[in-house]
Amino acid sequence: MLKLLLGAFLCFCMSLAYAQTPTRFQIQGITADTASAPLGSATVMLLQRKDSSLVNFTRSNDKGAFSIRNVKRGDYLLKVSYVGFIPFQQDIVFSDKEVIDLGTLKMKAITKELFEVVIKTARAPLSIKGDTIEYNAASFKVPPGSTVEDLLRKLPGVQVDQDGNINAQGQQVQKVTVDGKRFFGNDPKMATKNLPADAISKVQIFNDKSEQSKVTGVEDGKKEKTVNLELKDGFKKGGFGKITAGGGLDGNGSAGPRGEIKGNYNKFDDKNQFSIIGLTNNTNQTGMSWDDYQDFRGSSSLNQWNDNGDFGFGGGGGIIISIGGGGDDDGGISIPVGGGNGRGYSNNIAGGINYNYNTKKVKTNASYYYNSNRQVLDAVRNRETFLQNGTFKTAEESSQINFLGNHRLAFRHDQTIDSLNTLLFTNNSRYNVGDTRLGSLQQLFKNNTFKSNETTINNGTNVNKIETANTLIYRLMFKQKKGRSFAVSASYNFTNNDGIADQRSVNLFYNATDPNDVLRRVLDLTNNTGSTVSQIKSSLLFVEPFAKRFFWESFLNLSHRSDNVDRDVFDLAKDSGKRSPVDSLSSFYKNNYNYARVGSSIRYSFKGLNFSAGLAVQSFQIDGQFARGQEPTSFLNINRTFTTWLPNASLNYDLKNNRYLWSAYNVNVNQPSTRDLQPIIDNSNPLFIRQGNPDLLPSTNHNVNFGYNMFNPASFMNINVNLFYSYNVNQVIYNQQVDPNTLITVTKPINISGGQSLGSYVGFGFPLKKTKATMNLNFNPNFSKNLTPINGVMNQTNTNSYRFGTRLDLTPGDNFTFFANANWSISDTKYSINTTQNQQIVNHTYGGTMNIRLPKDFFINSNFNYQIYINKRFGFNQQVPVLNASIYKILGKAKKAEVRLSLYDAFNRNLGVSQFANQNYVSQERVQTLARYYMLSFTYNMRGMNTNIKRRGGFF
Amino acid sequence: MKKIITYCLLLASYCSFAQQTEGFVTFEYKYYWTKVNSRLTFLSKEEKDRMKLTWGNYEDGPGTKMKLIFNDKQSIYTYFSDQGQSEDGRYSWRQSDYVIYRNFDQQKLVENHEMLGKTYLVEDSLMTYNWRIQNQIKDVAGYVCMKAETFDPIKNQKITAWFAQDIPVSAGPERYFGLPGLILELDVNDGDVVVTAQKVELKNVDKELVLPKMKGKKIKNTDYDQLLQKHIAESIKAQRNPYWSLRY
Repeated sequence: MLKLLLGAFLCFCMSLAYAQTPTRFQIQGITADTASAPLGSATVMLLQRKDSSLVNFTRSNDKGAFSIRNVKRGDYLLKVSYVGFIPFQQDIVFSDKEVIDLGTLKMKAITKELFEVVIKTARAPLSIKGDTIEYNAASFKVPPGSTVEDLLRKLPGVQVDQDGNINAQGQQVQKVTVDGKRFFGNDPKMATKNLPADAISKVQIFNDKSEQSKVTGVEDGKKEKTVNLELKDGFKKGGFGKITAGGGLDGNGSAGPRGEIKGNYNKFDDKNQFSIIGLTNNTNQTGMSWDDYQDFRGSSSLNQWNDNGDFGFGGGGGIIISIGGGGDDDGGISIPVGGGNGRGYSNNIAGGINYNYNTKKVKTNASYYYNSNRQVLDAVRNRETFLQNGTFKTAEESSQINFLGNHRLAFRHDQTIDSLNTLLFTNNSRYNVGDTRLGSLQQLFKNNTFKSNETTINNGTNVNKIETANTLIYRLMFKQKKGRSFAVSASYNFTNNDGIADQRSVNLFYNATDPNDVLRRVLDLTNNTGSTVSQIKSSLLFVEPFAKRFFWESFLNLSHRSDNVDRDVFDLAKDSGKRSPVDSLSSFYKNNYNYARVGSSIRYSFKGLNFSAGLAVQSFQIDGQFARGQEPTSFLNINRTFTTWLPNASLNYDLKNNRYLWSAYNVNVNQPSTRDLQPIIDNSNPLFIRQGNPDLLPSTNHNVNFGYNMFNPASFMNINVNLFYSYNVNQVIYNQQVDPNTLITVTKPINISGGQSLGSYVGFGFPLKKTKATMNLNFNPNFSKNLTPINGVMNQTNTNSYRFGTRLDLTPGDNFTFFANANWSISDTKYSINTTQNQQIVNHTYGGTMNIRLPKDFFINSNFNYQIYINKRFGFNQQVPVLNASIYKILGKAKKAEVRLSLYDAFNRNLGVSQFANQNYVSQERVQTLARYYMLSFTYNMRGMNTNIKRRGGFF
Repeated sequence: MKKIITYCLLLASYCSFAQQTEGFVTFEYKYYWTKVNSRLTFLSKEEKDRMKLTWGNYEDGPGTKMKLIFNDKQSIYTYFSDQGQSEDGRYSWRQSDYVIYRNFDQQKLVENHEMLGKTYLVEDSLMTYNWRIQNQIKDVAGYVCMKAETFDPIKNQKITAWFAQDIPVSAGPERYFGLPGLILELDVNDGDVVVTAQKVELKNVDKELVLPKMKGKKIKNTDYDQLLQKHIAESIKAQRNPYWSLRY
């Protein structure tokens, strides 16, 4: 009992103590409007005064009353918000009373105009400063080309008079700032009259301290009405550029000085991208790099599925796939990218201009690009051809100069008419001029010793070519049904090619038994060839979602192509320099091709499982006229129609944890070319005569592939497995007949089925030590079987190749990185006819790149590449070690400039050797090629040099 | 006349919705990856500009639809559909497991994350965010919202939330909650990611508000934070984008 009493007493004492200086408080009040009518359900928040951190919150009840209990002493702010009212805030003052009664908190309504126009209609945020409101007008629509002044007129509570004076909330605006900074002096109208409205993201109107009080720091109580204009983020204009110039000497003293200049400049804002690029060199760099291409083309550097008007299986999508220009060196009709370190010596000039205009609805691109390349190729070639009974060798020494100049124009306009209709127009055009000069000495040796033929060739060509490709695509999505869509395309392509080819050769045929019996043939021909190709195409695509997850896709392709070729050959040797027409070689032909394909497929798509299967049928009709001679009167007609069925299936499966599975089966059809179909004899190379075959059928190629891919982003590990198989039906193979006496080869295309190949690629990458060392392994076996008839007997060539590669990336720190790679490959070729010719080619490559960062912004970069080719049967053991090294220093505080001293091919071993084994011959070629040289270069980059010595893939 | 009607509707909406504390919100999640990638410290200015010029104009497409089902006691936030689809619907992909469950009554959370090559199940008590209430209001999906900010020290992100003044529920999209009203817009790092409510339906959601069956390696909040912290640090060091398989 005593204990209980004591307890009670203690409790009493304690509560008494609390009552005297309470540690927990209760804050209460009533939320109401200015007329004291209670506002129920107002949000009441207790905030830390220093940073507005939310401590506690509650809601007022129907009568506007609220209370927050258990509040510790602190420095608080009470904030009340209610829709349609300016949020109310008040400091909390603690006394020794447990209950802090704030009484009735009267909230001011937001003016109706502001609330409706700014908040509800324009959805612009309002900022509250005390009891005044500033608004950020982001979405007040004004017509394009309007100035800020026009925008201000739209804002509620703002008036702009005829002279441009601004009145806001009843007060004259004293100051206009842009991004918080003064805009051209004191006249507030300067900014509002001159800046375009679409450059502005926000307009803030508020009371700023007077300049006087800002300078003196003494609050004078005067407020200046201020308008602040915030510029759009993307609108902030930019410009950047880069220039590199270098010069140096050939290390082997043979081919003179080396030099390069390249530069590019870009200017852009949120809608416009403008760029120019230029380069010239004699260091075998034929085009711009991928990075330069991306800088040059900007938003147009993406290849899009969209641009392809030939709808087919799985076609007609709108997915952006890759960054790209022309793939090969020539680039075709699109701009060539990359290229370089080619063979021989080349002088290159290129330059271009590009403009992109992008808005949500319109994406337009126009570009012009010129490039020219003058290449000198001095080559030695050896070729061994295997016959049923023996072999013969061809030895050739040639010297060739090629020049090609290309002008390319590209235009693309993508117009989103509305959310359902889009229109796309593309044009790519090219004009090129080229000439080649070839001097060559060819010798044929029978059974390796006896020289049977000798040919001295002196050829020249001149080519003038114009091509243009135009496509218009219209796409319609249906509103009524999601997934139903329709597309139609129309294309017109045209090519005109005018060429003159001069062929001069002296052929000597030796007799095996009598060395004095030499047959001499002199050829001096000039060919004038004019050809035009024009094509009209149209395609339709219709997609119908016929059940949940299922689509039915149908397409139709129609095309008409017309080729006209007129080839006039004159003999200059026959009548000493006079042009006598050679009717046996002159020809004229006109081919019309009609093509129609119709196909349908069913697509299933759900949760990352995408499967489609379909069938198409195509009809290809050739209607050709062919005549020999320069003024033909009678024509040979070719009229063929081919019909082919084309099955197609594809599967893509998106699995959990970054794993993907895919598989596809498709059939490619290649129509026989008219050149192959027509019984023309082409003897432009007297030792290698081509003959046509009017009975050819289209060749079809069946492909099956399968792939699996996974990556683990946490462990940085990835696995990649691919399998591919292809089978050829009616493959067009050039049947070879070699005259055993003259060794003249006559080829004629025939159809052969059964050629096939099976291959696989397996890759595995994993870190040895995270962030410091990464290992990649890959294995790539390939088995192929090719059939070639030689002198009437079918030869089967089996090639089995195995390639194993590994890469090691060492990135121990920011000052040193090392990347090593090695590839070993063995290729076994076996022939059924002449098994003694079986051979094994071994290719090994070892490479390494090292980067070192030295103090004072000095860097060293070196790159070593060691290639080994071994072909035991020919005793071929070629080793090419190429070492490039450079030391560079980055200059300036902003690191915008660089001086670099480079040494290319330190061992002078870049010999331009290549070898090739196929069907019934092996060949080796050696082209005199740019080897060791030194260069000192200077680069200035407005955006700063990259000082990162780690290496990354193309994406991050 | 139109104005009057709007005003009347507005007033009507206050009254009828004022006490509604359960419903279904459809959000649009937009990820601006050129902005995110521009924050990667290892990229040079040249690489960032190149990326922006090439890709910057192609980011206007629609975002991913998300849904938030809430009442005053609990909320579930996840993908609107368990598959992602191309605009025309012809191509689909699977969505990573991502379920955020909050129970305000029991002060506990359940989260299902498929990230970094694994699936995790976070089960723990609710964390607290230090929200700073800002002096700005704006309209989101027809609701007047007030601005609040917090900071995520793990991902180094400035988080801006806009919470509805008249939906007195602490729920919100992504992992965020704890404000006096329902969060209807979330902005990560000034526009890198913007999650905006498209449609708010205040209705009874007892049927929808059921936690789906979830699998994954069970971890706690601190484990989750540590996983992220380690991965982000490692990725930046290895010059990789940490957000390939991690929600930004």
